[in-house]
Amino acid sequence: MSEANLPFIGAILLTVVGGAAVLTWFERRLLGIWQDRYGPNRLGPFGILQVAADMLKLLTKHDWIPPFADRFVFVIAPTAIVISMLMAFAVVPFGPDHYLIDMNVGLLFFLAMSSLAVYSVMLGGLASNNKYALLGGLRAAAQMVSYEVFMGLSLMGVVMLSGSFSLVDIVEAQQDGWYFIPQFLGLYVFIIAGIAESHRLPFDLPEAEHELTAGFHTEYGGMKFTMFMLGEYCGLILLSCMITTLFFGGWLGPFFPPLVWFALKTFGFVCFFILLRAAIPRPRYDQLMALGWTVMLPITLINLVATGAIALWMNQA
Amino acid sequence: MTLALFYIAGAIALAATGIALTRVNAIHALIYLVVSLLAVAFIFFLLGAPFAAVLEIVIYAGAIMVLFVFVIMMLNLGNRGTVVEQEMMNPSVWIIPSLLCLILLIELSLSIASLKSETNPIVVSAKEIGISLFGPYVLAVEIASMLLLAGLVAANHIGRRLSKMDQEKDEG
Amino acid sequence: MTVDETQNLRPDKNHGIPDSTFVASHVQKTPDSVKTYWVARDELLPLLKELKPIYPMLFDLFGIDERHREKATGQPHADFTVVYHLLSFEKSAEIRIKISIVEPETVPSIVSIWPAANWYEREAWDMFGIVFEGHPNLRRILLPPLWEGHALRKEHPARATEMEPFSMSEELLDAEQEALLFRPEEWGMTQENEDSEFMFLNLGPNHPSVHGVFRIALQLDGEEIVDAVPDIGYHHRGAEKMGERQSWHSYIPYTDRIDYLGGVMNNLPYVMAVETLANITVPDRAKVIRIMLSELFRISSHLVFYGTFAQDVGQMSPVFYMFADRERLFGIVEAITGGRMHPAWFRIGGVAQDLPEGWDTMVREFIDSMPARLDHYEKMAMQNSILKRRTIGIGEYNTSEALEWGVTGPSLRATGLDWDLRKKRPYGGYDQFDFEVPTAHRGDCYDRAVVRIEEIRQSLRIIRQCVDNMPAGPYKSEHKLTTPPPKDRTLQDIETLIHHFLNVSWGPVVPAGEASVMVEATKGLNGYHLVSDGGTTSYRTRIRTPSFPHLQMIPLISRGLMIPDLIAIVASIDFVMADVDR
Repeated sequence: MSEANLPFIGAILLTVVGGAAVLTWFERRLLGIWQDRYGPNRLGPFGILQVAADMLKLLTKHDWIPPFADRFVFVIAPTAIVISMLMAFAVVPFGPDHYLIDMNVGLLFFLAMSSLAVYSVMLGGLASNNKYALLGGLRAAAQMVSYEVFMGLSLMGVVMLSGSFSLVDIVEAQQDGWYFIPQFLGLYVFIIAGIAESHRLPFDLPEAEHELTAGFHTEYGGMKFTMFMLGEYCGLILLSCMITTLFFGGWLGPFFPPLVWFALKTFGFVCFFILLRAAIPRPRYDQLMALGWTVMLPITLINLVATGAIALWMNQA
Repeated sequence: MTLALFYIAGAIALAATGIALTRVNAIHALIYLVVSLLAVAFIFFLLGAPFAAVLEIVIYAGAIMVLFVFVIMMLNLGNRGTVVEQEMMNPSVWIIPSLLCLILLIELSLSIASLKSETNPIVVSAKEIGISLFGPYVLAVEIASMLLLAGLVAANHIGRRLSKMDQEKDEG
Repeated sequence: MTVDETQNLRPDKNHGIPDSTFVASHVQKTPDSVKTYWVARDELLPLLKELKPIYPMLFDLFGIDERHREKATGQPHADFTVVYHLLSFEKSAEIRIKISIVEPETVPSIVSIWPAANWYEREAWDMFGIVFEGHPNLRRILLPPLWEGHALRKEHPARATEMEPFSMSEELLDAEQEALLFRPEEWGMTQENEDSEFMFLNLGPNHPSVHGVFRIALQLDGEEIVDAVPDIGYHHRGAEKMGERQSWHSYIPYTDRIDYLGGVMNNLPYVMAVETLANITVPDRAKVIRIMLSELFRISSHLVFYGTFAQDVGQMSPVFYMFADRERLFGIVEAITGGRMHPAWFRIGGVAQDLPEGWDTMVREFIDSMPARLDHYEKMAMQNSILKRRTIGIGEYNTSEALEWGVTGPSLRATGLDWDLRKKRPYGGYDQFDFEVPTAHRGDCYDRAVVRIEEIRQSLRIIRQCVDNMPAGPYKSEHKLTTPPPKDRTLQDIETLIHHFLNVSWGPVVPAGEASVMVEATKGLNGYHLVSDGGTTSYRTRIRTPSFPHLQMIPLISRGLMIPDLIAIVASIDFVMADVDR
């Protein structure tokens, strides 16, 4: 990393944060189409200025901290998720020459950052000093710590095939075939664990509007609430970027320039996650945990053993 | 540049740990401890051990500390914990352990000073760590894994809380 | 009613109460066909115990303030009356037991016989100050804890203008807030047991999933529900009290707002009760129009149920589809009645207007399009494996528990009892229609949804028969209590003019008597018990709503489950708070 990279850092931040903001509008429009209604369509062309209006509203709202909350933790909590999510973008290779840093442990860095995001939700739930928030925080902790395990394990197959933790190497190793075919089990687990990590519907148990009113962010509003939302949408984009990179050949693809391919694939997965949100109900908390330990864990282990065996056999042959 | 970063990170780690020790609120203390761990991870990174750095974050900051927070949430101590902590801040409680630690620190500093310092860190990759773990140190790894397994089984056994009905069934 | 039961009704010779060894002190003749017996206070408990095997359901329990009665005949002297309305499913019969109290007498509580009596007795105490001896927790249920007086007593003012101007001082606010606090000890709950400390969670009165203003105080061990206390009354608007000052006719719009998803379905039992009191026959066309509109509203209500049910288990999309369908349905309702949710369109003796031109094409279009859409929803929601896992086996109760707690309607049929009032005791012309009564067998959240969804299809069938066979003729009765004399004749003779004037300005005078009529409403059996003292207003309007007893059952079926299960249960019960609190 050098000083010359500063404009590039700026560009990434702008794209991701801007993308997350636009995503709030895009998600509502897309859900609207799928749900036989309009969604926000009044402000500007296709209602896109709704983003600006929402921003204005959220940012100018009274920044209120409940008197019964733990002020210090209450303020720190929402920043953690935004910072850790944005940090993770440092290792994402958008194109053959478009990445901030090609860390030799890039994949682990992504996992480390996503594991830090848990704090945001937990501490937010705890600091609010509200029973609903506390229940949400507890759910978040159990859910995210467990699914982190499966998420990490599901990616080890990819590492075995490519022989590297570096995301650039992983993409380049997919020249001969994208990993979603040999690693379909890994992909399956990664997607599910990814949704659980980003706590979006159907796995939005920490939030669970119908059970816990708003779960961990029940007491949050205005700017701090915006941070939680921003973090969630950044997480969604990050997740889509990682699926593209790890399983769908990253920037690889014919005809179009690499950046376009990367953007297209990522966009496709973002849409997929929004559709998932529209379609699937929320399992119960213990059902989600049971799914993790009785289905996800065996699948990842089988995938790991099988990939290892095949890799060894191929090397010998 | 690297040296400056090293000292900054070191200072942050020390300061955060110090603050963590003196907090009466358990959650505040844990947050400072996480900061301290992150600073240590950064030091690892600077010293050419990115793999260790990332593992430090994933395992210590991302999992173990999360479990600590989780336990605090479960217990939901509220003000009771703060009161107990406040009593612990009494010098009569911490002064002797601190003195002993100080002696250890002096010994450690002296022994480190006698070592030759390595100025050019070599970057250790994940592959090398893996090879050495499953090569020369395989016995240690296996023993550690057995220990963890034993711990897991024991935790499962102890943690299985018998409900009233089960207890009655067992007795009857 | 079978032949030998009618023989038992010979009041002059025989005061014996059928199916029991007891003798009534008075047998009251009522315009409806429900046998009504007055018994002595100390005979009540043994009598009800004897009747319970035959009449397993306590359909209703309520009080009447008799102190201002002028035309009460065939009944003992009383300050207050407590009415026990029982329902038999095998015989499809009803029986009414009444006891009289002269203050300061008390009434023995029947909670030991019917657990469902708990809330009913609390309501009677709340409204009349009637003390039920032996009641476990006789406290206010609908009115705020610090309310002064008992609202349905005749001396209690009915309007704010009859009272001191209301002001909420700081101290009063604090006192009211304090009174609303949930104190576990008052409900026999402990703060902790040897294993763990409990958490008490207020679910509501404002919570996204309680469908209105409904509070459940939960005793939690982690996320597991140890016990629950439903707290109602936040939506109480004194509908029964309003019935005592509105004219017979002008009360109709108030009924719309009881089960506010049921629209004109609410009008039906009320107008039928008035028609029974006044002995009015309704022309065929009006009957079929009423049935058609009622079934349209049954579909509308079930669609809302369907959507919110899916939404409460976390499925985001279905509710939008169902609300879109409901919107099209409201289009039809609007074309016919001019209103949408609360048309207040039924009238005593008929309906407000004839059907507009082209109504049949609209209705046909709707009922033709619905089956395919329902199939689609079935695939989207009911066949979803997560939804199934969330709801199957959750919140189960069996038929006998349901009867014990006063559960009626689809929630009762979900336990496997094939009992639909429209089939068993057809009212208002339902005997002319061909439809089936859907049932299920597990009595859990999923089955309650399955039954309602199948009912939508059956309602579509009934509506199709209405459209195909709509009889010609008048849409309202020519009875003098319902229809003013022809306007042109009022200018010719004074008698007609006077009648017209009185009927329009004061409203009709309905003959003294008592009648209760129940209908198979959207959420269960909805009954109106009207007491007329020969005036232009009702002397006592009692509204028996299905949701009231349904909510009382929540603790029973949610113990040991988790919060998300409770949400599924609440969603599957299908209640609206106005229907509970009135």
